[in-house]
Amino acid sequence: MEFTVGKAELVKELSLTQGVVERKTTIPILSNILCEAVAERLVLTATDLELSIQSSCEAKVKKEGGGTIPAKKLLDLVRLLPEGDIRFKLLENHWVQIISDRRTYKLVGLSKDNFPALPAFPPSLVRIPCKILADLIAKTSFAISSEESRYTLSGSLAILKPEGIVMVATDGHRLALVETDYKFEGLPGEVRTLVPKKALSEIMRLVNEADEDAQIEFGQDESHLFFRLGPRLLISRKLTGQFPNYEAVLPRDNNKVVVLDRNEFQDALRRVSQLADQRSHAVKLTLAREGIELSASSPDYGEAKEAIEREYKGDPISIGFNADYLLDFLATSAEGPISLELKDEQSAGQLRPEGDPSTRYRYVVMPMRI
Amino acid sequence: MPKLAQFRATNAPPPASFATRILHVDMDAFFVSVELLERPELRGKPVVVGGRRDQRGVVSAASYEARKFGIQSALPLRTAARLCPAAVFLPVRHDLYVEYSDRIAAILERYSPIVEMASIDEAYIDLAGTERLHGPPLAAAQKLHDAVRRETGLPCSLGLASTRLVAKVASDQAKPHGLLWVPEGAEQSFLAPLDVRRIPGIGKVTEAALKSLGIGSVGQLAALPAEQLERVFGQWGAALYRKARGQDAYEFVIDAEPKSISHNRTFDTDTVDSELLGSTLSWLCQKAGKRLRDAGLWGRTVTLTLRYAGFTTVTRAKTLREPSNLDAVFLAELRALFAAHWTGKPLRLVGVALTGFTHGPGQMGLLDAGRSEKRERLARAADRLRDRYGFGKIRLGSSLDGDEED
Repeated sequence: MEFTVGKAELVKELSLTQGVVERKTTIPILSNILCEAVAERLVLTATDLELSIQSSCEAKVKKEGGGTIPAKKLLDLVRLLPEGDIRFKLLENHWVQIISDRRTYKLVGLSKDNFPALPAFPPSLVRIPCKILADLIAKTSFAISSEESRYTLSGSLAILKPEGIVMVATDGHRLALVETDYKFEGLPGEVRTLVPKKALSEIMRLVNEADEDAQIEFGQDESHLFFRLGPRLLISRKLTGQFPNYEAVLPRDNNKVVVLDRNEFQDALRRVSQLADQRSHAVKLTLAREGIELSASSPDYGEAKEAIEREYKGDPISIGFNADYLLDFLATSAEGPISLELKDEQSAGQLRPEGDPSTRYRYVVMPMRI
Repeated sequence: MPKLAQFRATNAPPPASFATRILHVDMDAFFVSVELLERPELRGKPVVVGGRRDQRGVVSAASYEARKFGIQSALPLRTAARLCPAAVFLPVRHDLYVEYSDRIAAILERYSPIVEMASIDEAYIDLAGTERLHGPPLAAAQKLHDAVRRETGLPCSLGLASTRLVAKVASDQAKPHGLLWVPEGAEQSFLAPLDVRRIPGIGKVTEAALKSLGIGSVGQLAALPAEQLERVFGQWGAALYRKARGQDAYEFVIDAEPKSISHNRTFDTDTVDSELLGSTLSWLCQKAGKRLRDAGLWGRTVTLTLRYAGFTTVTRAKTLREPSNLDAVFLAELRALFAAHWTGKPLRLVGVALTGFTHGPGQMGLLDAGRSEKRERLARAADRLRDRYGFGKIRLGSSLDGDEED
């Protein structure tokens, strides 16, 4: 293997792969990145066995072949090099020589034969506009459980239908559900798949690098999900298991409704939650004829009370929520009116933004007993 | 007949009835005294409650005769046997002592509505406002002293003072079977000649630190300025300053809330029997869970204690995402901790502790459709049966071999 590559291109592609490189591992080769010189390209591959990323950039290839180098060390070094071409050459014992002008480095490598092989990309199922996908992920992924033990909740459920996409995530306390209309060409029926949290955040990274109107190609085999965006490929192991029947927990008769302005509600909630109990983050929402009152108290810091005048015709209700859960949702929902829909103190509340016609977004959150 | 006030300050002001109204009741050698009720022939002999003389474990209580040989609580039984070969060793019958403790509490409650059982054999009573029924506090204390003896046959010692701290020190000075009244204003002169160790809260460490400052008696401690104590001991120094003056920070708190609930079991012989260990964990967890529910609390953190042969002790804790009061939830975490941290070497003791208390379960679940509420109702129903028929009558199947009692 011997090739020359521009510094800027290399840094960009290496940075994209860092998220999946294992930092601490009992399998040393997973800390390495696989560099392969093929035709006129350099192909970079990183994997932690759960998630793999492959990307490539143009290179002047003198001799085809490949080697593996410690990924983090390589990026740290390359970042410090001046702009310009960098020459790579595979030495004996799998070492790799790196030359930039009169600077020469040799990195310890491992044989590429020991690097895990990636599964082959199956025929792709659909193409999804990056913008839509990014929006769906942003609106749901915050509600994914961070508890490793809740395995089937550690990803978002994506449902692809010929006429649209549904994405839903829950951690057992709250649930974020977003639906959007999109005509898929040639999708025969409904495809349901659980996408792991980490894969979602890597997709976001790829999408953020892509053009406005780029599309991402999606495919799957028995045990993997495949996403391709231009020369970049993301492969994730599938989450197996049954995602909970989310439709069963969607509130149906929440008839205590008040409509709030997102920014006003968010600002008030942020202030009031400063004085919420540090552990539970509990805030109390009281709906009455005069509007809505937000209150909180903390044994350590004091108490807060704010009123927002709004028309409210339902029966008075006082209900506790984790302020963080509400703020998570408000941060991702569009500006404008938000409808807050309650039933009673023990039942799930629902929030829906009314300002964005392109998606149907609802957030279901269980109250706290306070 | 009880000895009346052993301490009377000269030139004492007339008793301000409301000032010295805190009564501390401390049973004398409680476990031993209860045993002697059934075995009067042992009276006057050195008696040790705790187990057989050759058994693993420690002394729970020793008669005054046994104490003359240097036997005291927490001393290994085998050491006690060496110190006093003639002593009679009796097993611990905890249920029996609880029964007597309850009877004593019932007597104390006749004298005031504010009774705080600080432990199985110790209580604080606020006698304020009981004068029309029972007379001045000193008279009430004497009546109470007689009533406990007459109705249970058990001796106790009483301290009557203006603060809990002085009352406790006084009952200790009154032992055995005495009543000591420290009138208001006499606290300092009462405490001054005593060794600092007599003050509750001052242990070996503080004692040693004070010794190095040349302080041995409470009077010497009281002579130190607050700033110096705070410089040496920090916040604890401020507390020492108050304690040396007989002041304490307590109000009478009825049913004071615990900060942690724990249950331990020491095995008769060190064990590697994972089934026994598993069922013991389950048993201890249920004991702790019931106390948690009885206190109306929810716990967030579970701690597992493992003590190996040779006294190496490991504690490992796990904080739940949300507080719980369900045995099964705690037990699952304990089992995981146990699986992750038990080295497989012989264990001498396992312990379970619950902490991080809240007054409610907090966040409700979206997906379990009331399942945790149902489980809570089940647990409370089981608790009611336990209150009626005994704790061991209702239990998880996983703890069938884990209790010490049967």
